[in-house]
Amino acid sequence: MYLNGEQPYVSYLNDSSADGPVLPMGHGYPAEYQHLVHAHWRGFRQAPIYYQAGFYIGFIVLMILSLFGNGLVLWIFSTSKSLRTPSNLLILNLAIFDLFMCTNMPHYLLNASVGYIVGGDLGCDIYALNGGISGMGASITNAFIAFDRYKTISNPIDGRLSYGQILLCIIFTWLWATPFSVLPFFQIWGRYQPEGYLTTCSFDYLTNTDDNRLFVRTIFVWSYVIPMVMILVSYYKLFTHVRTHERMLAEQAKKMNVKSLSANASNDNMSVELRIAKAALIIYMLFVCAWTPYSVVALIGCFGEQQMITPFISMLPCLACKSVSCLDPWVYATSHPKYRLELERRLPWLGIREKHLTGSGSTAGAESVASVSGDTLAMSVQN
Amino acid sequence: MVVSVKVFKKATPNGKVTFYLGRRDFIDHLDYCDPVDGVIVVEPEYLKNRKVFGQLATTYRYGREEDEVMGVKFSKELILSREQIVPMTNPNMEMTPMQEKLVRKLGSHAHPFTFHFPPNSPSSVTLQQEGDDMGKPLGVEYTIRAFVADSEDDRQHKRSMVSLVIKKLQYAPLNRGQRLPSSLVSKGFTFSNGKISLEVTLDREIYYHGEKVAATVQVSNNSKKSVKSIKCFIVQHTEITMVNAQFSKHVAQLETKEGCPITPGANLTKTFYLIPLAANNKDRHGIALDGHLKDEDVNLASSTMVQEGKSTGDACGIVISYSVRIKLNCGTLGGEMQTDVPFKLLQPAPGTIEKKRSNAMKKMKSIEQHRNVKGYYQDDDDNIVFEDFAKMRMNNVNMDD
Repeated sequence: MYLNGEQPYVSYLNDSSADGPVLPMGHGYPAEYQHLVHAHWRGFRQAPIYYQAGFYIGFIVLMILSLFGNGLVLWIFSTSKSLRTPSNLLILNLAIFDLFMCTNMPHYLLNASVGYIVGGDLGCDIYALNGGISGMGASITNAFIAFDRYKTISNPIDGRLSYGQILLCIIFTWLWATPFSVLPFFQIWGRYQPEGYLTTCSFDYLTNTDDNRLFVRTIFVWSYVIPMVMILVSYYKLFTHVRTHERMLAEQAKKMNVKSLSANASNDNMSVELRIAKAALIIYMLFVCAWTPYSVVALIGCFGEQQMITPFISMLPCLACKSVSCLDPWVYATSHPKYRLELERRLPWLGIREKHLTGSGSTAGAESVASVSGDTLAMSVQN
Repeated sequence: MVVSVKVFKKATPNGKVTFYLGRRDFIDHLDYCDPVDGVIVVEPEYLKNRKVFGQLATTYRYGREEDEVMGVKFSKELILSREQIVPMTNPNMEMTPMQEKLVRKLGSHAHPFTFHFPPNSPSSVTLQQEGDDMGKPLGVEYTIRAFVADSEDDRQHKRSMVSLVIKKLQYAPLNRGQRLPSSLVSKGFTFSNGKISLEVTLDREIYYHGEKVAATVQVSNNSKKSVKSIKCFIVQHTEITMVNAQFSKHVAQLETKEGCPITPGANLTKTFYLIPLAANNKDRHGIALDGHLKDEDVNLASSTMVQEGKSTGDACGIVISYSVRIKLNCGTLGGEMQTDVPFKLLQPAPGTIEKKRSNAMKKMKSIEQHRNVKGYYQDDDDNIVFEDFAKMRMNNVNMDD
């Protein structure tokens, strides 16, 4: 594959024998945009058309999914009263970041059609800025959602964050996303450049200057390590809290000689601990899937064997974080019982069948008081 | 002679199984607790070879339903007692007079049942929610239910299941006791000699809901500071054992500068009157109320009493206590001094004069309310049943009179 690698000539011959003329990456770039292409990419052949087409179709699918999923979240969470809680604002914020990431999709499709970054320097910078803000914003929002859940579950009576605190968190997520997307934009520290099939843009992880290495290292810690540690710590503490709480309740039930201690109305056998562990693991894995490819590619590009980063490999992280932005609404919102109920009510054609609470034990609240009183009768009993 | 006895009745959605209950309030007398006694009527053709099972369950809800995420439920249901009601397992069961009456009246398809509350079971308490929160109420709630099945562990069908919310309450002992709770504190100051001493005495140890709490405050100022103002609170202390949380809320308060400043060398004796009332704390988040089935008989949660020889630490559910808190403001440099005097706030025991008086008050209030707010109930479809019931009840009240 390499034109100027360690064994250039052999691979050149082997690969090219069947495919006709060999064109290097970036040959399709107009002359005025040629300076955008990092020398690294020129060492690779133009990608076969079917790979490009595959990514093209993949991105179209992702775009539709993301618009649909995040749009639904935005619509339903902002219009239904039962979902108006402080915690849900974070979910809304995540959907906004995800939609923000989605705005890059049309640009990508345009780039992929013509074979270069439309808009040149500015186009590339805008594309990468969008991606940077939405990516880093989404990852830190994930971390805050984890923290908020820990607060809510560990102290259900009055522990949940207030509207004010949540708004601060949301402002913080936007501030968090700003520095490492704006600095390269103005080329103050780091810079943006095309990557992959030269149809997407991201920060430069290939230039081997000390300055740039430090940049990659910092952004790695900032947008990957810190949010991940927050997520891990929050869910771990949440899990241990639930475990001790379950034990405590069982202990209290024992005082009353009660063996059966069920979370009411839900008759599934899975223990609370297991359910929490499962949900937390899914969210954590989602984060890992989204951001590990980018981190690995960036770290290899900066500190390892640059030759390993082929255009195809460097397209994958981009695909990974974009697909996660489509999955977010399904993981966060769709696991939300109230949201499912609302979806079922408004869009019955989606075929969501939420288990309605069986009457057992859950007959509480105003409605049952009313109905119970309605059934109360005065009867005369003769003495 | 016809004596009207009120009976609570509720049927399954398909109307085949019906609960009859003489009352919905069950009193914990500390040494024993009223059993839940009632009668179930079943259509034998419907039952065929199946059985009717009954359960007494308590539901702890310790978090808002809207905050439930990740499959966590902020509620736990404890089945305290379970029994096969039809066919009867214990043919020699002793019936209470109410059950005997009901069985006689309802005929051969009536089956009596009795559930016992286990020792240490908590009282029904509701934690008030803010404003228009329509979720399920937080607190401790009791439900009895009956369902038709082949065996106890069978899947229960909604249409052949009936459940009814009941209350478990504690009443004040007949004797209110002679002890007058009091507390004495004194405070010295860092840069000056002398002390201010504060003594607070209540006129009773046990108060009934709606009664005036009289706190006599004696301040003698032997310091060089002066007391600028006096604040008086009634504090409700709520301990929620389900989540190991506790908090305190002021349910009545008063601040005065009358007789102030209390200058060095001066003394003051003054009595403050405060009434802790649920009505004055409407829509305040986290105020504990006694379990209530209708909106009009809301009162603040009664103090939790435990059997002699046991500490409140053993109690489960929601543990309530009250105190009067007096705060003296000794100026910006002097700071504040405060003391708490605990007391009990309880329901009068039935049979006492106070009970009759409070019942009469309640009745009057409820009649008035129904006259005034009839229009309100017509707004809402869900409440139509309620209104019908209210009318019916009003008629009964009138008949009783």
